[in-house]
Amino acid sequence: MTGARFPARLVIGLAVAIALDTALQLVWKAGVADLPDASSLRELVVAVARHPIFILVVALMAAQLVNWLKVLDHADLSYAKPFTSLSYVTVCALSVVLLGEHIAPLQVVGIVVVVAGVWCVSQTGHTTLGGKAKPE
Amino acid sequence: MSPTALGVLLVVVSTMVEGFGQTFLKKSALDAARRHHWILLGVAVLIVEVLLYSGALRFLAVSTAFPITSLSFVMVTLLSRWLLGERVTPLRWAGVGLILIGTSLIVAQA
Repeated sequence: MTGARFPARLVIGLAVAIALDTALQLVWKAGVADLPDASSLRELVVAVARHPIFILVVALMAAQLVNWLKVLDHADLSYAKPFTSLSYVTVCALSVVLLGEHIAPLQVVGIVVVVAGVWCVSQTGHTTLGGKAKPE
Repeated sequence: MSPTALGVLLVVVSTMVEGFGQTFLKKSALDAARRHHWILLGVAVLIVEVLLYSGALRFLAVSTAFPITSLSFVMVTLLSRWLLGERVTPLRWAGVGLILIGTSLIVAQA
């Protein structure tokens, strides 16, 4: 995984991007579920601003942006972006493991198809812009 | 236009907007002299995307809206080719197509 096709820095960056995206989705979901019923948009905004979990959401978003910019320094956008689809898989898996949610057979098929798609993308070169991209 | 059609339109537009936001972030890696300019532009556009998607959720159930967001993988790939000049091979397109189908299957059952 650390050869010319998969530079270690890029592999780590993509793994961190998927991990942060997964954490963000799960924390956001937990925060939204914990919000009180709001009758207006203003009440909703105030409730979000007062809930400490949304500080964590903003921190995760900031970390995600910093990491994603580093990934894009070393890979095509059309190469890196498809890898983030693996967070659909990790969120689905963690929902089963952590939240005890049920997984439908069609979702298992979906996971296999997503992984196959990411494998196809991983078989293409990570940068096609020649000298424009930063060297590893 | 029915509320459902308006919701679908907003989600589709939000995926196009995300494509442009991601393209601007990638531009920051290619244009070092204006790196911060591109990052700010990209973040601003991605905030617009979140607002559009939030607006769409007023008209659509999440279980309907979320699968449509996987169109962003197609938008990003198209814009990477057209605006950034990346070479998108048939295998990369095949991967994006499989991801589009797979994510739809996962979230459609959620």
